[in-house]
Amino acid sequence: MSLYAFFGAVEQGLLFSIMALGVFITFRALDFPDLSVDGTFPMGAAISAILIFNGVNPWITIAIAVAGGAAAGAVTAILNTRFKILNLLAGILTMIALYSVNLRIMGMPNVPLLGFDTVFTSLENTGMPAYMANVFILGIVALLVGAFLIWFFHTEVGLALRATGDNMKMVKAQGASTNRMILIGVALANGLVALAGALAAQVQGFADVSMGIGTIVAGLASIILGEALISSVGVVRAVIGVIIGSIAYRIAIAMALTIKIGGVSLSPSDLNLITAILVVIALMFPGLRSKIGVVGK
Amino acid sequence: MISIDNVKKVFNRGTVNENWAVKGVSLDIKQGSFVTVIGGNGSGKSTLLNLVAGYLKPDEGRILIDDEDVSNVNDYKRASYIGIVFQDPLSGTAKSLSIEENLAIAMKRGKKRMFGMGVKSRDRDFYREQLRTLDLGLEDRLKDKAGLLSGGQRQALTLLMATLVKPKILLLDEHTAALDPKTADKILKLTIKLVNENNLTAMMVTHNMKQALNLGDRTVMMQLGKKVLDVDGEERSKLTVTDLLELFSRELGDEAYDAGML
Ligand SMILES: Nc1ncnc2c1ncn2[C@@H]1O[C@H](COP(=O)(O)OP(=O)(O)O)[C@@H](O)[C@H]1O
Ligand SMILES: [Mg+2]
Repeated sequence: MSLYAFFGAVEQGLLFSIMALGVFITFRALDFPDLSVDGTFPMGAAISAILIFNGVNPWITIAIAVAGGAAAGAVTAILNTRFKILNLLAGILTMIALYSVNLRIMGMPNVPLLGFDTVFTSLENTGMPAYMANVFILGIVALLVGAFLIWFFHTEVGLALRATGDNMKMVKAQGASTNRMILIGVALANGLVALAGALAAQVQGFADVSMGIGTIVAGLASIILGEALISSVGVVRAVIGVIIGSIAYRIAIAMALTIKIGGVSLSPSDLNLITAILVVIALMFPGLRSKIGVVGK
Repeated sequence: MISIDNVKKVFNRGTVNENWAVKGVSLDIKQGSFVTVIGGNGSGKSTLLNLVAGYLKPDEGRILIDDEDVSNVNDYKRASYIGIVFQDPLSGTAKSLSIEENLAIAMKRGKKRMFGMGVKSRDRDFYREQLRTLDLGLEDRLKDKAGLLSGGQRQALTLLMATLVKPKILLLDEHTAALDPKTADKILKLTIKLVNENNLTAMMVTHNMKQALNLGDRTVMMQLGKKVLDVDGEERSKLTVTDLLELFSRELGDEAYDAGML
């Protein structure tokens, strides 16, 4: 793999780690398999792109994208807690609805950002090469989000939220509303996913209504890979594991794309298959490790 | 204190499985009273406790606590004045959280949870001091995950969490039934100590008739969703386990013996 390809993979890994951290909140901390993220990722991209297209400051577009993602997440949470719709289905409903909403937001299936200022161009203008500027900014955002989550998971609300994913009966017995925890968790998660979407639009130079397909699988792959590599014991390690898992996932994909089998080489369109295989292998990993006795207790 | 006013609870209403689990029970419990509840399997003991705790809403009748109708107050809101411990020793703690994090959650019972640090360093001494009273060595294991503890240890922790912020009412649903006899005994002693120290009003479901008569100051027997015995004072002190068993078999037929009610 070339150095250029490596930097590209790290850039992608950092970018999607922000999304994966959102998925981590729902799937792991809250035990709420939320599929709205396939809609909130392009939603973040759509909001940011169309606002930049109309001359809004790129940082401000990110804030608005986060708010939009959080609002969509709140809808999923309310569908589940208030209207008693199964969590998986609630997420799918939001995801489907967002496809239309995102088209409305953009007014077209695709918003190009070529020639527009983004949060990345501001650093490139200082003379830093683009690939370094991207890694630099995405790295800082990923670290900030990671640090924020570690802090959040240790707050009063964060403890109750983690306990909600573990034992709802206990949370209620201790006087906390599990519905409130689900609302906070799913909204926050989708806010982060939309943040990643907004950054994706800006780093790639466009927003596309179909760019969210497979978001959830990539997020899960990163989480599972991180758990296999770092182990998920403790909040701090788990959060760092998600970021490292996301980078490892993108590097693995980049390497897979260089493989030639016979005369046939893998193409980006094979990505979903590769991801599925990676998830299966990674899922086998913790099991294998406990079988050979690496994981105690 | 607690006033259960002709409460009925039906499950699967309108289906072939319609089941009146509680068929009009009334019970007035005075502040500081400790009521033991016995009865056969499926007689509605847990349902009654869950109605008081708010996990279930009555289909008919009312539940008053301190003269306030709480029939429609949500479970988690009622938790501000009700502590509860279930039979399953794993159900009262979050396994993936540390002991101190579990205690921190219990510290906030009845208060609004915001974004302050969950475990505050100034609380750690208090946690240690409280854990020491359990006499299980947990005071040195604040950072251990609750999932690493044994069933008995987790039940002791649950009991502590149920009373860390003093509730008005403590509900115990066969909370020692899943433990080995020695641990059960220890948890029971701890229960009595906590109830006495905090002057709690308590309801304890038990399968053990001796316990039911020896502990507390009033005994209620449930059968098929009805209250069939309610004794306190002198009448209760005269009652023996044999009397209870006789009552049981009269209510139940021979099933009581078959079900191993001893
Ligand atoms: N959630 C529920 N759904 C349907 N039926 C229930 C439910 N909980 C309890 N029951 C039924 O109500 C009756 C009383 O149960 P319960 O209160 O648990 O009895 P006990 O605690 O005295 O053994 C039983 O017939 C039981 O099957
Ligand atoms: Mg029961």
